[in-house]
Amino acid sequence: MSEARFRLGVDIGGTFTDATLVDESTGHLWNAKVSSTPGDPSQGFLTVTQHILDRAALAPGTLRYVVHATTVATNAIIEGRVAPTALITTEGFRDILEIARQIRPSLYDTQFEKPTPLVPRDRCFGVRERLDAAGAVVAPLDESAIPRIANVIQAAEIESVAVCFLHSYLNAQHEQRAGEILQAHAPDVAISLSSDVAPEIREYFRASTTVINAALRPIVSRYLEKIEARLRAQGIVSELLVMQSSGGLMTFADARSRPVFMVESGPAAGVITAAHLAKALGKRNVISFDMGGTTAKVGLVQDGAPRITKDYEVGSVAQPGSGGFRAGGYPIRTPVIDLVEIGAGGGSIAWVDPGGVLRVGPQSAGADPGPACYGKGGSEPTVTDANLVLGRLNPGHLLGGDLKLDGALAHAAIEERIAKPLGLDVVRAAHSIVEIANVAMINALRLVSVQRGHDPRDFALTAFGGAGPLHANRLAHEMNIPVTIIPTSPGTASALGLLVTDITYDYATTLIERVDRLEPGVVADVFADLRLQGTAALAAAGVAAVDMAYVQQVDLRYVGQSYELTLPYPHGETTGSDFSGLLQEFHDEHNRVYGHSVPGEPVETVNLRLTALGTIVKPPLLAKSGAARGLQEAQYGARPVYFGEADAFVDSPIYDRNLLTAGTEVPGPAIVEEYDSTTVIHPGYYAAVDQYGTLLLSKQPSHP
Amino acid sequence: MAETESLDPITFEVVRHALTEATEEMAVALRRSAYSTNIKTRADFSCAFFDRDLNVVAQAFCQAVHLGSLVHLVPIAVRAYGAENLAPGDAILCNDPYLGGVHLNDISLISPVYCEGELFGYVANMAHHVDVGGGAPASVGAFREVYQEGIIIPPVKLVAGGEIVEDVFRLILGQIRSKRETAGDFRAQMAANATGARRLAELMQQTGIETVNHYIKELMAYAERRTRAEIAKLPQGEFSAEGYVDNDGYTDEPVRLVAKVRIDDDGVLFDLNGSDPQRRAPVNSTFAQTFSACAYNLKCLMDPDIPPNQGFYQMVRIAAPEGTVVNCKPPAPVVGGWETHARLNEVIFKALAPVLPECVPAGGKAMQCHAGFGGIDPRTGEYYCFLETLAGGYGARFQSDGPDAVQTHGQNTENAPIEETERYYPVRILRYELVDDSEGPGKYRGGLGLRRDYVFLDHDVTFTVLADRDKAGPWGLFGGEPGRQAYYIHDHDGEAEVLSSKTTIDVRPGEMIRYETCGGGGHGPPWQRDPKRVLNDVRQGKVSLERARTAYGVAIDAEQWTVDTDETAYLRATMQHDGPHDEASKTGAAQ
Repeated sequence: MSEARFRLGVDIGGTFTDATLVDESTGHLWNAKVSSTPGDPSQGFLTVTQHILDRAALAPGTLRYVVHATTVATNAIIEGRVAPTALITTEGFRDILEIARQIRPSLYDTQFEKPTPLVPRDRCFGVRERLDAAGAVVAPLDESAIPRIANVIQAAEIESVAVCFLHSYLNAQHEQRAGEILQAHAPDVAISLSSDVAPEIREYFRASTTVINAALRPIVSRYLEKIEARLRAQGIVSELLVMQSSGGLMTFADARSRPVFMVESGPAAGVITAAHLAKALGKRNVISFDMGGTTAKVGLVQDGAPRITKDYEVGSVAQPGSGGFRAGGYPIRTPVIDLVEIGAGGGSIAWVDPGGVLRVGPQSAGADPGPACYGKGGSEPTVTDANLVLGRLNPGHLLGGDLKLDGALAHAAIEERIAKPLGLDVVRAAHSIVEIANVAMINALRLVSVQRGHDPRDFALTAFGGAGPLHANRLAHEMNIPVTIIPTSPGTASALGLLVTDITYDYATTLIERVDRLEPGVVADVFADLRLQGTAALAAAGVAAVDMAYVQQVDLRYVGQSYELTLPYPHGETTGSDFSGLLQEFHDEHNRVYGHSVPGEPVETVNLRLTALGTIVKPPLLAKSGAARGLQEAQYGARPVYFGEADAFVDSPIYDRNLLTAGTEVPGPAIVEEYDSTTVIHPGYYAAVDQYGTLLLSKQPSHP
Repeated sequence: MAETESLDPITFEVVRHALTEATEEMAVALRRSAYSTNIKTRADFSCAFFDRDLNVVAQAFCQAVHLGSLVHLVPIAVRAYGAENLAPGDAILCNDPYLGGVHLNDISLISPVYCEGELFGYVANMAHHVDVGGGAPASVGAFREVYQEGIIIPPVKLVAGGEIVEDVFRLILGQIRSKRETAGDFRAQMAANATGARRLAELMQQTGIETVNHYIKELMAYAERRTRAEIAKLPQGEFSAEGYVDNDGYTDEPVRLVAKVRIDDDGVLFDLNGSDPQRRAPVNSTFAQTFSACAYNLKCLMDPDIPPNQGFYQMVRIAAPEGTVVNCKPPAPVVGGWETHARLNEVIFKALAPVLPECVPAGGKAMQCHAGFGGIDPRTGEYYCFLETLAGGYGARFQSDGPDAVQTHGQNTENAPIEETERYYPVRILRYELVDDSEGPGKYRGGLGLRRDYVFLDHDVTFTVLADRDKAGPWGLFGGEPGRQAYYIHDHDGEAEVLSSKTTIDVRPGEMIRYETCGGGGHGPPWQRDPKRVLNDVRQGKVSLERARTAYGVAIDAEQWTVDTDETAYLRATMQHDGPHDEASKTGAAQ
């Protein structure tokens, strides 16, 4: 199948279903967009697939991979539409979900609610069995209890069961045995064992992860089966893959049994895009900045790899002043790309609070009525309105002119709601709105960089999403980030991430042991075992041996701490007992992250982690064709644009991005417009256009 | 203050974000590098930034009590030590309850922040240490003087020019049982302040110290403006209530608390005259702790968006006579002042219930509910200490049930995971679950309490219960019934001995301590509760069939899981006429 060199990515969001197709040998890209079909998402999937194949004039059989990103899992949890699920725990602990962490999601709210458990209490069963904290059996499993529970489960038409026994992360025997007996008595029930899904210490978090997995299995299974059936009927014979929360891919078959790994499937793609583009441009360290209509998402890529967190809650937002801790959602302990998401997008509403202070967001005008300037009846001023008043947006050019903006309405909304109450003139008010949105985004950029011990000067900023390029230059300036990367078609760049990542399987084994007491060979044995599992899974997914790769990591901490630092554990270091290099790295990392280290203190391992990769060929970036043109040829106008640093409107040239060719330099102040986005280049900066059409913004040499 | 300088909305946001962010970064650094379960997992700490005039400007993640206490302690400690005696890289340590602290376990570390040689302000954090010496492991217990409660640390320099003052450090650690953990926790506290100072230095570099100082004043004025506007929306008048802590830990005499809340054009005054004289027993609250309680209550009544800075705190006015349990004098012991503090929260809510019914909950757990223990760990031969506080039922609200098993009011600490606890401490937890039928019945019911069983298999342990609610359950409101009281039980020699809520005992190998915390009070008459809700509670096993009938007047067919409407109507008619059938739930009812 030499012609099967096309890769299709389909991202189903709440409003639109987006598709991106790439020719993996040339890098040629096609895009398509249709309205989502929430009643039956597979319908939209099929429509957009047909569209894009038609556009590219390809037969279904030419597809090698189809990669899917979906919010089906998240939405099911947030909206409480999960499958009927049961939970089996150690006797005496069946209320683990009800009690949760025993805290209130907000400190001063007397009307708070704890998140509703995903499994109601009458479906939680305790079984006699017990392990001690070393994993030894203290009380044997009461096997006779399981068939009784199986009867109840079947009578109640429960489709899925989670099993989470205390200390099972050290010894899976009881969970496995309970699972076997249950399966024998209830063959149609899907069973998720905590020792399999999330084998890590701290029972509530492990149980929560396992329960989410169980509660999603029937939902995600049916969803993916339907899509698969439709695609097969259409003649698509390719491998079908899903984007995981970690940014890696997994097969539909794996996703059906481990759906908790794809809970944050959608947002991961943007960061992968940023990593991919940066790598192609020779940059290893990038901050990704994706700003759309309602939110902005910021992530960090270090050494080419997105930063991953295992401290995540589905359906909760970190509150300002909460120290980054959350309690309003459902924790999971699977790898998730670490994103900071804030309520600052083009549609974010500006308002004057009761203390007389200007605020922006988190309320959004959404798509309907949208910003005041859309003329759809919205009277609240938004960030988009402010950008329009400042001359940064072209009233006749959004979406290639399909969306007209009314400057008078924007002006009136800002005047009425902001300028008059605060005693400012309208321009100053509009500038304040944009800058206050910027302050929130700068804060998010700081969270992923400075707060985690990274110096922004060592990073590039990759900006995309419809609104990202409007704000990126200003943010980079404030953060001292030397280069800002604006990919072509920023509005759809995120979907590219689906097509440029690898198949991954993540494994972890808990091994809590002081490093100075580690038996030589123990670490090697654990990694060897994890690698066997990884190889088997990759082979089952159809990955050829030559494409298999492995990344090993170890979580370390000072004995007594509860939070670990994850360090790379290069293959080859697994033999012998000389861990001094690793220890030194740990002390250094602790110092970098927390500002201190204690070289004399004992250090312990916590988890050994292995990611098995089925590497996929990355399509090259497509060099832009066409003859070189001068800058003047790309200019199609000029307009006054307000810049805070000039404290005035400055007459700025407007360029058509499609007409900018490689080697061109665009000096600021300037505006670069294209179909789905607008790039603002501030005075003192310039944009270099590279061979791919990417804009690279940096300071003009003479600029301080 | 430069009145004429205009308020630039952008700079305002820059400064506000940066200051909050600095304290958040402190919190992250502290939690992630701490050693004791109480700090790293249960998050029993808080962080704040003060300006050079010692006004609190920004705070992050937190226990409400700490925040109110820091507001007092930091200015007193800095003034006592002398700001002029502090240099860059220094930090002073203090836990003296009579200098603005709460109890000895809460140790504060305060560091000055300088900008180009000029004093800019202070970063401070307060963390609950698992042990500070004294008469029992974990430093909780029913003592008669503060001197028995542990080491009292007046403001002393623990860090000088970035280096630990080893003499002081050793002297302090010498008094403490769990030395390794405590040393790690102190280092985490130092890391937190270093992080905060670094972040603030960056802010001043970007924005300039004069501008930042100007906007700090604006931030406080802003909070004051918004607080005044919110207070103006509250009903004016004087509202009072009283309540009791069940006993003082030494005598069985209940501790009376009285609160008159006066709301008028001048703001809010919490007048606590009439509260009992201080006791030679642990239930005494320092002024700082009482202040924290009142500030918490006031904050709950306002828009949560108002930043908790000096502009807000200065609006909290308190009349608490010295020498009482709400403003004790030395040498009164204070470790159980938490119980008084938490009850005061509820007395204030009760006073406001008639005029703010949609806002205040019925009585809830409202106690600290410490479980503290320690001994020689047979695995290591080292002295270990463990401390946690257990959740209980929250009070029912105007239009919703009280949540089950949750922390209430001034504290919001997490539970200690069982796997972590068993791994690092020689204890086994046999049971951790809700207490069925512990809710206070009502149109909206209170939350359930929880049960936790500790067994010690292989060594002798000193165990302290420092809690309350063992005489009466939390009150209901507007015809709601009280929640079930708490029980503290020592299982030994084949008997279940009921313990006092404030006691220290020896536990031998194989013996068990059992906590059953209280449920929350109900809201509105139980016979008005939607029978479908009662049915659901019964199906969930939270309320028994029998109790559905006697306490709610709802007859349920447990075969079909349906409500017998005819019988329910009859039961409820009788109940309305005679009052609830459940005799037990009548006692201790509100009013």
